[in-house]
Amino acid sequence: MKVHKLFQRMRFGIFALFGLIVLSTSLLCIRTVDTELSAEYAANSESIAKTIADASVDILLNRNLATLQSLIDQFLEVQGIRYIYITDETGEFLAHTFVPGIPEAIRESDPFRTEPVERSLPGMGDFLEVSSPILAGVAGTVHLGMDLDLVALKIQRAIGQQVYLISILLVVGILASIWLVNLVARPLAALLAYAVETARHPPEERALVVANEKLLERDDEVGQLARLILYMSRTRPPSGPEALPDPGAARPAA
Amino acid sequence: MHSSCAAALLAPWARWAGAALAAGAGASSGAASTPAPGRQAPAPGAAGGEIVLGTSAAFTGPSRGLGNELYRGAMAYFREVNGSGGIGGRRITLKLYDDGYQPDPCVQNTLKLMLEDDVFLLFGYVGTPTVTRVLPMLKKFQEERIYMFFPFTGAQPQREPPYGDFAFNLRASYRQETAGLVENFLATGRRRIAVFYQADAYGRSGWAGVRAALENHGETIAGEATYQRGSRFTGTMRAQVEILQRAAPDAVICVGAYAACAAFARDAIDLGLRVPIANLSFVGSENLVNLLSEGRDDPETYTRWLVNSQVVPSYEDESVPAVREYRELMARHDPQIPEEFLDDPYDPLPQSFVSLEGFVNAKLMCEIFRRFDGEPNRAGLEDAVFSIRDFDLGIGEQVSFGPDRRQGLQRVYYTVVEDGRFVPLTDWNALPA
Repeated sequence: MKVHKLFQRMRFGIFALFGLIVLSTSLLCIRTVDTELSAEYAANSESIAKTIADASVDILLNRNLATLQSLIDQFLEVQGIRYIYITDETGEFLAHTFVPGIPEAIRESDPFRTEPVERSLPGMGDFLEVSSPILAGVAGTVHLGMDLDLVALKIQRAIGQQVYLISILLVVGILASIWLVNLVARPLAALLAYAVETARHPPEERALVVANEKLLERDDEVGQLARLILYMSRTRPPSGPEALPDPGAARPAA
Repeated sequence: MHSSCAAALLAPWARWAGAALAAGAGASSGAASTPAPGRQAPAPGAAGGEIVLGTSAAFTGPSRGLGNELYRGAMAYFREVNGSGGIGGRRITLKLYDDGYQPDPCVQNTLKLMLEDDVFLLFGYVGTPTVTRVLPMLKKFQEERIYMFFPFTGAQPQREPPYGDFAFNLRASYRQETAGLVENFLATGRRRIAVFYQADAYGRSGWAGVRAALENHGETIAGEATYQRGSRFTGTMRAQVEILQRAAPDAVICVGAYAACAAFARDAIDLGLRVPIANLSFVGSENLVNLLSEGRDDPETYTRWLVNSQVVPSYEDESVPAVREYRELMARHDPQIPEEFLDDPYDPLPQSFVSLEGFVNAKLMCEIFRRFDGEPNRAGLEDAVFSIRDFDLGIGEQVSFGPDRRQGLQRVYYTVVEDGRFVPLTDWNALPA
């Protein structure tokens, strides 16, 4: 169906409004999810590092390194944790999960540092490394590497789900608006066609123009206008606008 | 133990069913049998006509040779005892579960053995990462007095507090094996010792042993590389070899299982790292040599660099009474692996260090049961073990246990490969350089 100028503007306005809503909602969602999830992963990593540090005290004091290794191996099963290593109070590596060996970047780093640091390890990926001192640092330090690529993937997936939902709402909204506009446009187009057809005939033949019955039966403004045109086509033009009859009273029998 | 009234009512049936299941081969596997419900009996797992021992070990996967051979060696002795009327009329049976040398299945299997199968004790476990995870469970159920006997691991956790009281060890420890290797290498001028180890509790235990031994001599580990547990011979160890090559070691001590250690030895020699490559007893020496020599024109290309420490004497040495007995009973009974564990064909080894260890484990286990006057019970188990004093197991070393001595044997043997067989290493200076 032909889109009339009036409704073209309306549709453009609706698209623009929906687009703006989707864009702003998506941006806010991306920012919120990214910030919140990143913070949550970092907080979880720090909690796990602290848990290992607390659990390691007796084991370290007993110099039971096999049990210490068994402990960190279990934590390696937590999703996102890619490596764990424990250094003693001298900085020596007491247990770790690296295969085939401890990366140079980690060997050369400060074993006593407890602030989070982002690392890029060749062949392994990008990591957020968090650390926790064991017995206030006098027994050593636990270091834990969270896979940033995996975290990014998780965040992207969460954002993707949100944007996917918003996009569905956008499409549904646009389709609904098109349907609603068409609901108004279709009878108006019929009314216009009827008016044009009536106007094409000389005044004495206008009464012969067949009106659209469905149009005349409508009880809304379009129906009223159609009935008004029908009335005007069957009567001589009055001498003044005040002589016009009530179009609502001119509804023909169905 | 954790029994309900219903379980108590079912106890006679369960006892009959368990005996019937075990009557065939003297062993039943978890995959094939219905677990007996818990029962309230004075001697769980040792009531009636049988003593049920629970085993979780690697019967499948890249390390299955260890679980299989340990089991076969033990069964050779148990079958002989059962065939002679058992101990005090009681047959010894094994309740078997496969853990594939993985900790989580081992923990689940142990829970089943303790809570559902109600075994008398745990026997013949394989591996440090598995045993290390099970030890806290023994402490958790310490009131039940479920002990672990003779695990196939030389790690420290089951030898020291807080879990040392729940296990009895027969074999020498990894600490003793690595200390012996380090001292002999140092004595022959090989001061730069590197370590290739499994990235888990077993590897760490061996690594710690090497580190401590070197520390005693003012040395440190020259280089180290790790591999993932479950690695196969078909995989590559080139990255590990390259790491160790940078350390320019005089010798490498491997703390791993046969498949990975064989892959490492192969790649090390191929890449020019030609130094003695030592392996601990856990490695599974025969499987290691088979992998390295099968299909080769010169079968000693790789094996000439091997030095293996052992915790039992050579099974070739028939001057040792227990070895003679072992060879005879292995030939007589030739125990096979239960079919449900044989996803892939497995060719049993006629003799091996691992099955000999299983054999002496079973022999001592039976001796402990003989120390009971009547029906074995858990409450008296510790006293029965401690009554073993200067006991002659027939391997040339007296076995003693006590409250402060929960490891029976202390001796470590060193072997090299000659003509495809392990022979005692007599001259450390003669090792290839």
